[in-house]
Amino acid sequence: MAEPVLEVHDLRVTFDTEGGLVPAVDGIDFSVAAGQTLAIVGESGSGKSVSSAAVMGILPSNAEVKGEVLLDGRELVGLPSDELRKIRGNDIALVFQDALSALNPYYTVGWQVAEAYRLHHDVSKKAAFQRAIELLDKVGIPDAARRAKSYPHEFSGGMRQRVVIAMALVNDPRVLIADEPTTALDVTVQAQIMQLLADVQEEFGTALVLISHDLGVVAEVADDVLVMYAGRAAERGTVRDLFHRAAHPYSLGLLGAMPRIDVPPRPRLTTIPGSPPSPGSIKTGCPFQPRCAYTERVGERCITERPELTPRPGEGDHEAACHLGRRPEAVV
Amino acid sequence: MSSAELLRLDGVRKYFGLRGAPWRTGQTVKAVDGVSFVVRKGETVGLVGESGSGKSTLARVATRLLDPTSGRVEIGGKDVTRFRGRRLRPVRRTVQMVFQDPQASLNPRQSVGTILSTPFRAQGTRPTRAQLIELLHKVGLSEEHLERYPHEFSGGQRQRIGIARALAVSPDLLICDEPVSALDVSVQAQVLNLLADLRDELGLSYVVVAHDLAVVRQVASRVAVMYLGTIVEEGPSDQVYAAPAHPYTKALLSAVPVPEPGVTRDRIVLTGDVPTPISPPSGCPFRTRCYKAEDVCATTRPVLEPVNGQTEHRAACYFPEPPPS
Ligand SMILES: Nc1ncnc2c1ncn2[C@@H]1O[C@H](COP(=O)(O)OP(=O)(O)O)[C@@H](O)[C@H]1O
Ligand SMILES: Nc1ncnc2c1ncn2[C@@H]1O[C@H](COP(=O)(O)OP(=O)(O)O)[C@@H](O)[C@H]1O
Ligand code: SF4
Ligand code: SF4
Ligand SMILES: [Mg+2]
Ligand SMILES: [Mg+2]
Repeated sequence: MAEPVLEVHDLRVTFDTEGGLVPAVDGIDFSVAAGQTLAIVGESGSGKSVSSAAVMGILPSNAEVKGEVLLDGRELVGLPSDELRKIRGNDIALVFQDALSALNPYYTVGWQVAEAYRLHHDVSKKAAFQRAIELLDKVGIPDAARRAKSYPHEFSGGMRQRVVIAMALVNDPRVLIADEPTTALDVTVQAQIMQLLADVQEEFGTALVLISHDLGVVAEVADDVLVMYAGRAAERGTVRDLFHRAAHPYSLGLLGAMPRIDVPPRPRLTTIPGSPPSPGSIKTGCPFQPRCAYTERVGERCITERPELTPRPGEGDHEAACHLGRRPEAVV
Repeated sequence: MSSAELLRLDGVRKYFGLRGAPWRTGQTVKAVDGVSFVVRKGETVGLVGESGSGKSTLARVATRLLDPTSGRVEIGGKDVTRFRGRRLRPVRRTVQMVFQDPQASLNPRQSVGTILSTPFRAQGTRPTRAQLIELLHKVGLSEEHLERYPHEFSGGQRQRIGIARALAVSPDLLICDEPVSALDVSVQAQVLNLLADLRDELGLSYVVVAHDLAVVRQVASRVAVMYLGTIVEEGPSDQVYAAPAHPYTKALLSAVPVPEPGVTRDRIVLTGDVPTPISPPSGCPFRTRCYKAEDVCATTRPVLEPVNGQTEHRAACYFPEPPPS
């Protein structure tokens, strides 16, 4: 296996709020190598966005971050902010769901991409604008030289997301974190954007961390998958480990709950009862216990002892955090 | 003999006049541009299409929350196109709407009890407490929820409240506009199963409006595909999903990712964006993005015609896709 570009160890994020401490991310590990895609999946509130913001060093001041974030072996946690600014947007870049909020309505898109370049390169405005046009063209904006002079509101949602991707790629980052980059887009546009990300990866060997709740997208593009639940890792493994040998009841639940077009409809979808817990509300035992269909087979332990990731049969580092141990059989 | 028609739309158009900025004034958005559509008792019809294709507008015209610009709306066999005010009461008892965002469609200052009483009061009646509790039970909630407020519920529970409100006046047809698109996948499955249970228990019929083709595949026996305010294909779900005849349907289906690693799909990648409904293309609305377009496509708009002689499956295209061999 290639050396990881980005390595995250025991990442913990706690928010200090009026309502008390909120442990939004409670000890997760992941890594991704050049040209590879790691997908992070899980329902809303599971800590996906907070994890990516922690890696980028862009959390609000009420957040406490612990653990290691290594970029090419260099520790980012605790780095002074001027050092971090040199890395952010340059070596590691973030694309998030809401393209509109990532763009300034008062500046042309070309200017914004050019400024992102000038932050890390000592070049003339003119040269930076040329670079911006090159990138806009690369991400598939037709007639890029002319469209660079347009404002964000003159673009469709899909085209705006392309602009944001151009901005993220303008400095040739080693790692791109894409947080639900297509969630707000229609499926035909989603297909275009995912194809674009794949092309970029192939050309530049970018390591991609893709945050998504769409298991279809994940199956298509991911090499490895991390399933998060309540700020923790429920399961991790290769994409085939997850889709063919899921070992955590939550992963199985997600797979069964998903309607799909490639098989005849089932009379009923498998459901996971209830809804995800708020961070820190389950203090002991397994955070999935109140919703788990398998807990009765294990008993007390699910309530008293927090399950840690342990190896499962699979292709490599397949692991799940569940006391059941062996792979649970098909969902009941 | 086909069963009773709950809803019939004939040549429905809904145009919005734009106001505001001077350069927009006088322009019209052709949100729905000539749709004919029938829902029979016992059916679940899916309405799919990308954002802006006119699904929500059509749903609102069909429930008579909006007046059509032209065309006819029949509900329960009666022409209700021009009904207003009190005359709409029986219409509301036949057709109800469930909205996408349970957060936005429930008044945060009203208790669940008050929210569920509203449809009764709109009919000029008052519900008993027992009636309200029964409604909650139907959607998997309980009596203790009656005095609570929307913010005390999860997204999935709020959507259950939205469904309970729609069921209050015992309608025959629910028009659900993106009923699960704001929900996480596990909760989405709960709500889809609930809709299926209610169909079996109460004999409900549905129109399920969704941009998610897999959701519609799961629930709908028949499906209609919208593009730029028109229906470009409709038919039994099995047929439309397995053998789409319209190039747009084919492209749309090919874009849906399937959760099977290693399976690569033959994807028809559409270029360009959906044209604006202010000035849709002449002839076939899809022709500016169609991989099969020819000169004739720019002349007159193709109408829905049977696919391979099957009257149930129809597509509006001069060069429909042949059935898969
Ligand atoms: N600034 C903040 N202050 C307090 N809690 C927060 C803050 N940002 C996020 N959280 C909480 O952290 C948890 C994880 O959020 P997030 O990472 O956004 O979830 P996801 O992206 O998986 O949907 C949520 O419960 C959220 O409410
Ligand atoms: N009240 C309105 N005024 C002007 N335009 C509208 C209004 N409602 C919808 N539209 C426009 O009509 C078209 C169809 O919208 P809609 O029915 O919401 O589509 P969908 O539900 O398929 O996304 C869009 O172009 C939308 O902007
Ligand atoms: S540890 Fe127990 S509660 Fe948690 S997922 Fe495994 S069986 Fe279910
Ligand atoms: S009528 Fe012509 S442009 Fe329209 S879908 Fe058919 S082939 Fe394409
Ligand atoms: Mg998020
Ligand atoms: Mg809509």
